[in-house]
Amino acid sequence: MHTGRLLLACLAVVAACGDASGPRLTFSGSDVGAEGAVIRAQLDRFAARHPGVRVELRLTPDAADQRHQLYVQWLNARAEEPDVLQLDIIWTAEFAAAGWLRPLGAPDDIEDFLPAALEADRWQGSLYAVPWFVDAGLLYWRRDLLGAPPSTLDELREDAERAMRTGAVSAGLVWQGARYEGLVTVFLEHLVAFGGAILDARGRVRVDEPPAVRALTFMRDSVTGQGLVPRAALAWQEEQTRFAFQNGDALFMRNWPYAWALVQDARQSRVAGQVGVAVFPGADGGRPAAALGGAQLAVNRYTEEPDLAEALVTFLTAPEQMLERAQAAAQLPARRSLYATDALAAALPLPIDEIRAVLEAAVPRPVTPVYSELSELLQVRLHRALTGQEAPDEALRGAADAIRDLLARTGLAASDPPAPEPAE
Amino acid sequence: MNGGRVVTGAAGVCAVGLLAAPLAWVAIASLMPDSLVFTRGVAATGLSLDHYRALLAERGFLLAIRNSLVVAGLTTAVALPLAATCAYAIARLPLRGRGPLLAVLLAVSMFPQISVVAPLFLVLRELGLINTYPGLVLPYVTFTTPLAVWLLTAFFRQLPRELEEAALVDGASRLRTLRDVVLPLAAPGLSSTAILTFLYAWNEFLFALSFTFDADRQTVPVAIALLRGRYQVPWGQVLAAAVLASLPVALVVAAFQRRIVAGLTAGAVKG
Amino acid sequence: MRRDATHADARLARWLVAPALLVVTGVALVPAAATAWEALHRHDLRLPWLGTPFVGLANFAEALGDPRFAAALARTMLFAAVSVPIELACGLALALVMHHLVRGRAIARVGALLPWAIPTVVAALAWRFFFETSDPGGVGWLTRPVAAWVPIVAADVWKTTPFVAVLLLAGLQTIDPALYDAARVDGASPARQLVTITLPLLAPALVVAAAFRTLDALRLFDLPYVMTAGGPGTATEPLSLYAFVALMQRLRVGYGSALSICVFLLALGVAMAAVRALGRAAPGGHA
Repeated sequence: MHTGRLLLACLAVVAACGDASGPRLTFSGSDVGAEGAVIRAQLDRFAARHPGVRVELRLTPDAADQRHQLYVQWLNARAEEPDVLQLDIIWTAEFAAAGWLRPLGAPDDIEDFLPAALEADRWQGSLYAVPWFVDAGLLYWRRDLLGAPPSTLDELREDAERAMRTGAVSAGLVWQGARYEGLVTVFLEHLVAFGGAILDARGRVRVDEPPAVRALTFMRDSVTGQGLVPRAALAWQEEQTRFAFQNGDALFMRNWPYAWALVQDARQSRVAGQVGVAVFPGADGGRPAAALGGAQLAVNRYTEEPDLAEALVTFLTAPEQMLERAQAAAQLPARRSLYATDALAAALPLPIDEIRAVLEAAVPRPVTPVYSELSELLQVRLHRALTGQEAPDEALRGAADAIRDLLARTGLAASDPPAPEPAE
Repeated sequence: MNGGRVVTGAAGVCAVGLLAAPLAWVAIASLMPDSLVFTRGVAATGLSLDHYRALLAERGFLLAIRNSLVVAGLTTAVALPLAATCAYAIARLPLRGRGPLLAVLLAVSMFPQISVVAPLFLVLRELGLINTYPGLVLPYVTFTTPLAVWLLTAFFRQLPRELEEAALVDGASRLRTLRDVVLPLAAPGLSSTAILTFLYAWNEFLFALSFTFDADRQTVPVAIALLRGRYQVPWGQVLAAAVLASLPVALVVAAFQRRIVAGLTAGAVKG
Repeated sequence: MRRDATHADARLARWLVAPALLVVTGVALVPAAATAWEALHRHDLRLPWLGTPFVGLANFAEALGDPRFAAALARTMLFAAVSVPIELACGLALALVMHHLVRGRAIARVGALLPWAIPTVVAALAWRFFFETSDPGGVGWLTRPVAAWVPIVAADVWKTTPFVAVLLLAGLQTIDPALYDAARVDGASPARQLVTITLPLLAPALVVAAAFRTLDALRLFDLPYVMTAGGPGTATEPLSLYAFVALMQRLRVGYGSALSICVFLLALGVAMAAVRALGRAAPGGHA
């Protein structure tokens, strides 16, 4: 780890001394914790395979907003570096439409990548990024208080009420309710559980239809009605939810896979060894769902080393490198074939069968260049409904109207005539 | 008389207590393991320096502190003379368009930072100043000088004119008067302005994030932002970083605060 | 001879003012001009095929018709109207205490300045943590539209009282103590001394403090961004945060620039009022 750092420091110094010989590739990502060690090692290995090529790691903050802002700033200024960008799954369409990414040649093993993640990386027929690792929303549950995870939302509610009545926990379910992107992923899981969608396959807005209203009402009632979800959760992001669960305060937690290692760590968690994961259950008319997140790798349109940059992307998304990341940082690879291997099962701290089930239930968020704005419009309304400032149907109608307006204004609305509405 | 002292003393203790309480929480929490802070709250048991060790050894935090010291120091060193001369002219010399001048200076710092960042980035990029010390000092000086000018103008205006007039009558030039008479008198104002300028540069985040991309040049606020992962936040390290970030500032303030006291002439010096 | 001296002084004045003016306007002119240009054009980074046509004041018209803009504007002004007086009062109290302390003065000064020294992010996190975990009154502060402002105002006051105190302390120390002695001999109470001696002589510093705190309050961004992200809903979204949303999340540079200019105009109004007030407040000073 230290040699790698030293090497990169030397590379940086040499680079700073002006354009030395040989091409230079810059990769933009983070080096926090185990991820950092792994990425540095992999970049070194790539450099070793391409003698004369220098590969540098440019650190960008992992906080999504800040990294997004930096990318927008650099790309809008047509900066040639960084050459390879780590993108959030919801940014690819936006950056591709803005003309900031190079279209990539489809890799030979493109079938191996998770289809939902791959869809997010296509824009107008071309591929603009390659899935790197994925995240999916999980339902964490307490093995010491339940025999099996709930298979429907009603069961979840009953289990939670029972546990709260016995005083074993003070909260039935905790999720991320702050006014940010995480809220949309939580809502998405509830939405699909009731059979709804934000946009349908044709791109029409469906978020004000009855299933969505039922989903949002369920969420709101969880907070205000039955008190399943503590009101404080309406200001929580991932970490606060994790702390509530690992302190033993909640029966269920909806969170990302990152939390697993932490809640199972006996040194800090009161529930270590008593935790299981499952897919967020469905309800009437819907199915279990896991919101899909993760990172993609893309190439800067203004790069001076397009071929090398693409080679780096191919290298980092190769099965060996993905497996190494899984082993070091417990990140879920974006390749389907790896999930059949024993190596991955051994590498991941999470139970592999549940993870496979979760990934099969993965639901992507709408793929559109205006997703950030769409999400923000939705977040505001969702949060108003949850905090009791608006009724759920009113809130969703407002959100849907705003989103329709947005899509129409930007010329991204669905062009097909609406299909006849199915009888409800 | 004594009653007044007791009241002031008590008020002082209260004030400092109120101001210091969150800081004390930060300091103690930075010595506790992450999860304990959120489970049992802050308590003085099981304290350790693990977070500090991690910060300094693994995260190279000292580098960020060095960068912040350089940038904040340079900013203060440049902004203060700029502002002092300008303020003296506004306060004491015949100058047409005083009001508009003050307003223009102020107008500059009134755009929301976020709208200023992108164009400034382009400019600095053209000048080749991205990821350099001057690339940060220049914007910082630009956005702290207005406040400094305003502060010092108000301050110079308050000073009694007699000493200056005496020096002028004695044949000293305006500049000599400024240097030998006014500036020493204005030490409290200068020190305050220096502290505020230093603190602005020390804590500024958006420009530092946008105009640097190398650990070699990134300042403390950026280093703190780089501590967190996508979801996970190393709370202990963040708090330890905050404590480390406050230490140099506390030292600077401690050094300057004596200047505030010492700057008085003619008349009893209080304490 | 007096006219020559004045002439020389006026020339010197221009030379002394020039460096600061040049640096500040030189560097800041480009972003200001760029923002103004963008505000008059339609420029959506997500939709480059629409180009950047000139649209005149259409962005401003959109803002005027945008209920979210109006709400953010009202909220911002209300925040300034509430928080600035509190900060001035607390700052004055702190300055008076620091001024009159005999023992422990140095420690008090250093300790009192530390809130200003802490990075805003950490201060926001600390105050958010306090309100979230201890939840005084069981209100659920950050989840209620009006109550969510309390942690934000508390954090802002906590962080900026030292700033105001430092400004005022410097002013306090230049007030001739003989004035107080005379007043005491005349039998004036401390409160009366405060009102008749301290406040008038402190007026310039107070004006500066009020002006800068108001300008900062009108451009409030960091605290709500970290503590509530503008929530619940948009209840704590000030104008600068909405401009940020428009610029960085919606990538609508034209509209976001127009919003930024609105913030600028608001601040300009305050600045002009402050200039006039400063001119009047300073003893013997002219605007």
